[in-house]
Amino acid sequence: MARRILVPLFLLALAASAGAQGIVDRIRQKKELVIATDATYPPFETKPGGNLQGFDVDVGQELAKELGVKVRWIDQEWAGVLGSLESGKADLVMAGVTITAERKAKGYLFSRPYFLSGQVITRRKGDTHISKPEDIKDKMVSVQAETTGQFAVEKIGVPKNHQLRFDQIQEGLLDLRNKKSDACVGDLPTIQAILRTGYPELEIAGPPFVKENLGIVVWKGNEPLVAQINRALGRMMVDGRYARFYEKWFQEPYTTALVAEFDAQKSAGSPVKEAEDLSKKPVPAVSADNQGGSSFTFRGDLLAKAMPLLLRGAVLTLQITALSLVFGVVGGLLLALLRLSPIKALRPPAVAYVEVVRGTPLLMQIYVIYFVLPAVLPPGISKYLTPFVAGVLALSLNAAAYSSEIFRAGIESLDSGQMEAARSLGMNHSMAMRYVILPQTIRRVLPPLTNEAVALLKDSSLVSVVALAELMRVGKEIATDGGSPTTIYLTVAAIYLAMTLPLTWLVRRLEERWAIGRRRPEGAKA
Amino acid sequence: MSILAVQGLTKRFGSNEVLKGIDLEINEGEVVALIGASGSGKSTLLRCINHLEEPTAGQVVFQNEVVTADRVNEVRRHIGMVFQRFNLFPHLTALGNVTLAPRKVLGLSDAEAEKQGRELLDQVHLGQKCDALPAELSGGQQQRVAIARALALKPAAMLFDEPTSALDPELVGEVLEVMRDLASSGMTMIVATHEMGFARDVASRVIFLEQGRILEDGPPSQVLENPREARTREFLARVLRA
Repeated sequence: MARRILVPLFLLALAASAGAQGIVDRIRQKKELVIATDATYPPFETKPGGNLQGFDVDVGQELAKELGVKVRWIDQEWAGVLGSLESGKADLVMAGVTITAERKAKGYLFSRPYFLSGQVITRRKGDTHISKPEDIKDKMVSVQAETTGQFAVEKIGVPKNHQLRFDQIQEGLLDLRNKKSDACVGDLPTIQAILRTGYPELEIAGPPFVKENLGIVVWKGNEPLVAQINRALGRMMVDGRYARFYEKWFQEPYTTALVAEFDAQKSAGSPVKEAEDLSKKPVPAVSADNQGGSSFTFRGDLLAKAMPLLLRGAVLTLQITALSLVFGVVGGLLLALLRLSPIKALRPPAVAYVEVVRGTPLLMQIYVIYFVLPAVLPPGISKYLTPFVAGVLALSLNAAAYSSEIFRAGIESLDSGQMEAARSLGMNHSMAMRYVILPQTIRRVLPPLTNEAVALLKDSSLVSVVALAELMRVGKEIATDGGSPTTIYLTVAAIYLAMTLPLTWLVRRLEERWAIGRRRPEGAKA
Repeated sequence: MSILAVQGLTKRFGSNEVLKGIDLEINEGEVVALIGASGSGKSTLLRCINHLEEPTAGQVVFQNEVVTADRVNEVRRHIGMVFQRFNLFPHLTALGNVTLAPRKVLGLSDAEAEKQGRELLDQVHLGQKCDALPAELSGGQQQRVAIARALALKPAAMLFDEPTSALDPELVGEVLEVMRDLASSGMTMIVATHEMGFARDVASRVIFLEQGRILEDGPPSQVLENPREARTREFLARVLRA
């Protein structure tokens, strides 16, 4: 299987000094093995009922048992998964990662292959024009971006402008279903599992045309941990535990041929054997009608099951937004006061802060706070930088920059005579601000601040990259588990609206009410 | 006895020199009318006196002490200022406007400040309007509240920056009446104004400003009725015709 690596360069530059020696001892000491994953990848890891499950989850559980410790999973967007190794947030990654030379070159260590995968072509049912790699050369092909699926498609010779690269393989399959692409290339077991739960319109065309080995990933310098993992995997493969998981999740027998193949590739980090002909191996039949319904029908049954999880996600979204809003508004007010301070030296830092924050993407800021700060801060402090803290911190810092501009505009929109009148009564600058300027500013800034709150609520979906199961992330996890993405995404949209509409309604009411107080005094000219 | 002196005061905005060396001495109880065309520097002179504008050169001496940046808040407590556009605080009632500075700057208790505030609003004939917001008052009423607000700090002198220029003609009288009362109570006042009637009847001294300089300075009978300078005569002819 085949996942993209989207590791920002700066992370590599900071290449974890996170001490490698004795990682096994450290894991035993804290009695916990931390595994990072992205639970949108059936049958390896999904979160159908709010609980993590899948092939990787079972194997990981046994791994921890072998090490004599508990397992703790960090579930986050794929883009942040591998980065959590370098920043020391996770000990290892189990996310169905393909062993490739490129990844090794970037500093990742792989265990011995623990799953043998392959790339297959998916087509709309009965579309016999597409059955082998040569057939898709001049077609539109959807893939999951930066995965070995994309690399395989490039190898076939599909030009770049014919590749549709999506964040998730499910989106590629949807695109194929929507007839916007002609084929979708991805990992056999995953596509099999997805087709089992939905997408009755699609089928797998032929056997895998590229074979791949999946490995467990560890950051460089941790060879002793790799050795431990390999020993544990070896034991699982011979004592029947592995076979049990395999048959449970892939719904096909664990054959002696497979055992022999694993035996042949037990050295750590055996890479892909590309383009190996697998056509002799039979493709297991996939039936998609066991769950019924097209992926485009609205499924009430699915919704009933999903709703409690979605609402839990919405609560987290509200918590993150509310906290960030409070910190952001207070910070924004302070920044605005600095910027308008009579002490000139205080102004440039405030200006610089606002420009930097407004000039860089929020996603980048979240990355920096969660992945880079821990490498810079002493461990005693960075241990408090949990995903929740990091998410709220990033959103607060962002909201502070934007709301400081709102406050500044609000203060500057007041007649300069207000400040002069206050000063002429002997008030100093801060008294004038407190008793005269700010009380008037609040009214003017409340409507734009509420707009900022709405924006913040929507932006909070970005913190899912640091493993926070807020509404958008929960929706994605449920939607990718199969069934009907339409149902889930429409519901998620409705929940967001249910949170934002009252806010926008409130702004309108406030604006109407305060419009009255702003009329020009009678008898005043000009 | 001199209460206020302006010495060699100049004020430049960029390359535009608005005040070109003003020397002026004002005695306690004097009511000075500052007249002159728009742009002659009347407003700027008033604003420099209480340092709402920083003088480019020269200095202001108040009660025998030079006004400097670090004691400007102290000085402003003793010099009340009334603005052309009233500048009432729109989020506070009339009473709130009058009591804010006594409470926050002088540290009066709420009860003391309120008692004094009601008396002051009575004094400007607005005892009934204590709870009105500025937006609910006419321009003339607002300006009278602004005068009461400035008086609340018990100032030793009052500056008026064209206090009736933003008012409809029928509202000018009520404000001038309050100012007349104030003058007869012995308050030291400097009033930048276009109201020649007020200057003639109430002022004890009239100063004519022209392009940033004092051109004429004397009792109203002399400056308004018998001006020495041709420029003053031209100005008066223009104003009185209007």
